[in-house]
Amino acid sequence: MRTPILAAPVGIGCAFLAGFLLLLTQGYPAGASFSSLFAYSLSLPQALFNTLYKATPLILTGLSASVAFGAGAINLGQVGQFLIGAIAVTIVGIYLPLPAPLMIPALILTALAAGAFWAGIAAFLKRKFGMNEFISTLMLNAIAEHLTVYLVTGPMRDRSLYSAMSAPIRASGWIGSPAGFPLVFLVACIAFIAVRFYWNRTKTGYEMKMMGRNALFSRIGGCANDKNFTKAMLLSGALAGLAGALLILGGGQHRFLKGFEANYGWDGVMIAIVAGGSVGATGLYGLFFAMLQTGAIGMELETSVPSEFVMVFQAIIVLFVVAARESFHGCIDRIVATLKARRIVE
Amino acid sequence: MIDVFINLCTSTLLAATPILLAAVGGLYTYHADVFNIAMEGMILIGAFMGILGSYLTGSWALGVLFAIVAGLIVAALFACFAVTMKTDVFVTGIAVNMLALGGTTYALRQLFHVKGALIDPAIRSMPRWELPLIEHVPIIGDILSGHPFIVYVAIAVVFLASHHLYRTPYGLRLRAVGEDAKAIDSIGLHARWMKTSAVLISGVLCSLGGVFLSLGYVTLFAENMSAGRGWISLAVIILTKGRPVNVLLMVLVFGFFDGLGLSLQNTVIPPQFTQMLPYVATLVALYGYSRRSTAKAVRVHDDPRREHG
Repeated sequence: MRTPILAAPVGIGCAFLAGFLLLLTQGYPAGASFSSLFAYSLSLPQALFNTLYKATPLILTGLSASVAFGAGAINLGQVGQFLIGAIAVTIVGIYLPLPAPLMIPALILTALAAGAFWAGIAAFLKRKFGMNEFISTLMLNAIAEHLTVYLVTGPMRDRSLYSAMSAPIRASGWIGSPAGFPLVFLVACIAFIAVRFYWNRTKTGYEMKMMGRNALFSRIGGCANDKNFTKAMLLSGALAGLAGALLILGGGQHRFLKGFEANYGWDGVMIAIVAGGSVGATGLYGLFFAMLQTGAIGMELETSVPSEFVMVFQAIIVLFVVAARESFHGCIDRIVATLKARRIVE
Repeated sequence: MIDVFINLCTSTLLAATPILLAAVGGLYTYHADVFNIAMEGMILIGAFMGILGSYLTGSWALGVLFAIVAGLIVAALFACFAVTMKTDVFVTGIAVNMLALGGTTYALRQLFHVKGALIDPAIRSMPRWELPLIEHVPIIGDILSGHPFIVYVAIAVVFLASHHLYRTPYGLRLRAVGEDAKAIDSIGLHARWMKTSAVLISGVLCSLGGVFLSLGYVTLFAENMSAGRGWISLAVIILTKGRPVNVLLMVLVFGFFDGLGLSLQNTVIPPQFTQMLPYVATLVALYGYSRRSTAKAVRVHDDPRREHG
């Protein structure tokens, strides 16, 4: 992407304007609503910590989608990989008796492996049979949803509770929040730095990027596209699986709750889209969306705007940023073309 | 035994209807070379607006009208971005789906003050039509008669669309736009407008599919009610390469597995596994399709990124 720097503020500005007008037409005090959105997501320390906690899964699912799209792999299976990562961690976390220094790394590895496995199915089907990963990952999402719902309402259900959820994992696998600061956010940061390094500074990362831009070019240039495709899918799946797992390890309940996946998978896809393929921007938009989602609860408390408003608002932001980006490019291209034409005429 | 057969056929038909309507809508965009992944959102909006219209006016017909108008608006929004402003269709489609999901969830909360699902006695569902003559034929009458009219619309629409796409000037032009938009522009037709019209048609048909979900056999709206039906329709279109009759057959196969899932619900198999069937069936169909077609000769349609990246 050439100039997302210019387009992003314009797009976000327009989106805020649209959101403002939308709230006004619904009869809400728009100014007060937006100021409570910021107050409840950025004020120190607790609100900011809540935002960081929310950002943890969003950054990871965003990275998952970013890496896949960047390499030209249409992995829309973040939802499924998220769920499989979470359920795997829950199973291992309940039954594996290890002390904390071993338990937490073991669980994180489990999550990475489980997410990679679920994405790996789609990669395998693509490599072996040429099955389009775009459809297969979507179908695997539905299968993962039904599978995990079966597990937490059936064999894994904690019978002592009214609603469907698993038993909590062993306390040695918990990642706490000292003084409110969510340590899982640090795990997401480490993952972010690792992916950024891998993507921008290694040979495979470069080959994947080339494959995403122009698969023919990278193949003729001597890259093993097939292998890189599989690697990109596995990495993407592992990141989504980690996102699901961190919500179990670092959440309040340490259980797999039915429906806890909310919309994290698709939010990740949206974050990757607005970030336009840049890993750094994915991190920033992850924080930004987390801020909106955390602040939405404040909006609901202060001015009784339903927190679901933020779902609409996020989609508006995506549309506006994308439109701004594309029309910016259009404008720049047109100006360049006019200048060139003028030079030729003169 | 006969009862089981009739039940299975009926549930096949009912499960197939919304997917069929959406898939026929998607046929138009497929042939116009617009990668329409906004169908999921269009179905969802249709389902919600059908409920809203029926609730506000007390008439199912106005509910259907509400849904059609809403489908048109969403389609116009999608076309405005993807066709006119030429944003990436893949990106725009996902954003529209998210807008539909967010918008319906928000509106459910805002207008009805409920989370999750809405059931209200003020909502009128569609009447069921007894087909004259066919009604009295044994077995066939039991299967075909006594459904909301949209079921019959869906079946008729497949054949109408087939005629429209392959036997009329509009259809010929639309398919030509899909082949080469610049060539169409060069002979004085407007490829952009043709593409927009295809998106609008798909919007109407998808929203009809959505209305069937919310006002057809059940009378309720639930968050994310479309549950992947738009995606399945898209898969069907890609797998059949946009041939209307094949679309009908394939959708019936999915309907069968969906219906089979419902029929098996009261047996020892956990319902979550029976509900997986349509998705597994899609994977199996994709496997069959991929084995037949050589891996290299995939159409551009199948891979949005390669086309627009």
